[in-house]
Amino acid sequence: MKTRIDSVEEITRSFAGQGYICSEQIALAIYLAAQLHKPVLVEGPPGVGKTELAKAAAAFLEAPLIRLQCYEGLDESRALYEWKYGKQLLYTQLLRDKLGGMLADTDSLEASMERLGDLGEAFYSDTFLEPRPLLHALRSDEPAVLLIDEIDKADQEFEAFLLELLSDFQISIPELGTVKAKHQPLVLLTSNDQRELSDALKRRCLHLYIPYPAAELEAQIVAARVPDLDARLREQLVAFIQHLREQDMKKLPAISETLDWARALVLLHADSLEHAQVADTLNLVLKTEQDVTLARELLPAWLRKLGKR
Amino acid sequence: MPTRRLSEFVQALRGAGLRISPDEASQAMDAAALVGYAQRQRFHDALALTLVKQQQDKSAFEETFARFFEAEDSRSDSPQDSGSPMPEPAADPSSAQTPEQQQAETLLASTPDQLQQRMAEAAAEMDFTQMEVITQQGIYTRRLLMNMGMGAVDDRVLQLDQGGPRQQARAEQLRQWRARVREQAAGQVRRQFLLHGVGKGRVLREQTLRAVPFRDLREFRDVQALVRRMARRLASLHQRRTKNSRRGMLDARRTMVASIRHDGVPAKLFWRRRPPRKTRVMVICDVSSSVSDAARFLLQFLYAMNDVLPRVRSFAFASRFDEITEDFARYSPEVAVGKVLDRLSGSGTDYAEMFRAFQARCERELDAHTTVIILGDARNNYLQDGAETLQAIRRRVKQVWWLNPESRSRWNSGDAVMDRYLPHCRLARQCATLNDLERVVDSLLGSLD
Repeated sequence: MKTRIDSVEEITRSFAGQGYICSEQIALAIYLAAQLHKPVLVEGPPGVGKTELAKAAAAFLEAPLIRLQCYEGLDESRALYEWKYGKQLLYTQLLRDKLGGMLADTDSLEASMERLGDLGEAFYSDTFLEPRPLLHALRSDEPAVLLIDEIDKADQEFEAFLLELLSDFQISIPELGTVKAKHQPLVLLTSNDQRELSDALKRRCLHLYIPYPAAELEAQIVAARVPDLDARLREQLVAFIQHLREQDMKKLPAISETLDWARALVLLHADSLEHAQVADTLNLVLKTEQDVTLARELLPAWLRKLGKR
Repeated sequence: MPTRRLSEFVQALRGAGLRISPDEASQAMDAAALVGYAQRQRFHDALALTLVKQQQDKSAFEETFARFFEAEDSRSDSPQDSGSPMPEPAADPSSAQTPEQQQAETLLASTPDQLQQRMAEAAAEMDFTQMEVITQQGIYTRRLLMNMGMGAVDDRVLQLDQGGPRQQARAEQLRQWRARVREQAAGQVRRQFLLHGVGKGRVLREQTLRAVPFRDLREFRDVQALVRRMARRLASLHQRRTKNSRRGMLDARRTMVASIRHDGVPAKLFWRRRPPRKTRVMVICDVSSSVSDAARFLLQFLYAMNDVLPRVRSFAFASRFDEITEDFARYSPEVAVGKVLDRLSGSGTDYAEMFRAFQARCERELDAHTTVIILGDARNNYLQDGAETLQAIRRRVKQVWWLNPESRSRWNSGDAVMDRYLPHCRLARQCATLNDLERVVDSLLGSLD
């Protein structure tokens, strides 16, 4: 992993090189997180590039990205570690004879127990430990970027369980003791604000809110990601998307949807939004019938207004 | 910028209602030290990243930041423009100098830095922690100026005003100087108010808001934020309870199927999860003029608790009855309430008609998991009361609650007929202030578990 970050600008430049165009605030968050060794909680509407940010950060830091997708009912055994019960059972079966032989010369139950005790924790050792993403991140030989995606989908218990990891970069496993991070990972948590996260969690993190981008930034993003798109059409497209976001929509179009639409328009060889097929591709941007209908009505009026200007 | 200024800023943020732990404050200092103070925007962003953990606190942060560091800026700029030393014309040798006059002379002759110093000393002697409301700033500014010895300058101005034209011109000069000093002092007091007063004022204000009847509440600006905060607090309180009660029994079938892989050893246990609550809440609000204020807050409150009460259907009636769930699904509660009131408000409530319409529309969905909450004053305009329909509804649901914005003594006065409805309600409460409302919703959540 890159250990020295000279400035916020360096991050912005590297991100831009990867096609991840971001506001200065986002770059600053990564900078502070890396320098202060604090996790970042990234919030914002869906599709503004929260997960992408983690990927870009990993690429910038030249560190592996370890991802933990959260969902309801996620528990420690899925997130941290699990014992390989199957393997343990198989081993006991295979070793049955050997164990029998070993215990053959003992005459009392106590003696057998004692001898078994001498085996130590053989069956609860690393051989039988199945590490899950969190443990991977802690035991990784090089510092990693750990992405805990959509933490708001996990239960509150899980959130509480994460606290130890987030503040001290360590986790307690009853059978093994406390596992401390070999190298402190850069932790990014994302949330879609489905439910309120606890204060305790927020307190331990830097808090970054990524809103929908302003027109200028969005145009830069489209230019970086869909370079084939005609410049004039790009301006039009971004302006229209921005206009849509001001409307009373059920689901507002996100950046990812803007990009999908831009790609579709390139495929259609459209050179302006007046193109006959443009209205048919609106369902790439808007995901409910009501919204599409509304946008179809808006488009001609909006184009007329644009023409007048 | 010294750390002291930053910790004062944190103090001011706490006053503005943000919850900031010492750990977060020290993070903010680290971050500020890392990015430096030269680039204002970046400094601002670094503080925002470390101190603002909730999007709804953002505006409070922006406001406090602007006010706090604006005061900071004006302070650092001030020595050049405001405190320019007054070239005192050679004192009239004939007039004997009284101690007061001497004091005025020293003040006037002091350099901007000395003046600053004097002001800081005077401020240190004062107790700003008693400041509670914004209107007190004037008094405190005045007191600060007096502490600095500006009284002597006032006397001098008065004295000069009596004299000839040259002296009057001098008085004018002094007045302008005095105005600038006063501005500085006001800035100083404003910052002190941000540090001490705002927080206390807020607590005081919140206490008042909670106890004020709904109809007077609408005029207050920050009441929405208060409602949201109260709802959030209640929601998080009850969220815990629902999660804890989710432990179930052993799922023998799944456990055995899974154990086949391990030669019949039940290595992994599966638990039967208690199915998620099917609780449904149906709210019927009277939105005629007399009750609409209470309805507004009840609905806002319920929809702010979406986390714990996902299945709320709401209905409103005045002269007409209609479902309003959709309005709340689409718009923020503040907007939705306005739309509903526009559409349905009017006078001439007919409760019997409302019960019939509700029954016709929802009868199939009423079941043992449903709670029906009626918010109304039971003023039926001397029409039929329709209590038998309410009874029929009650038989199909888990419980019927009645919230009445009027005080108990008036429940049966005039055309009000609460007595007819009371036998069918499991609970009937007065609901006239936010405090009442909070209590009602709290017991509602308790009864649903």
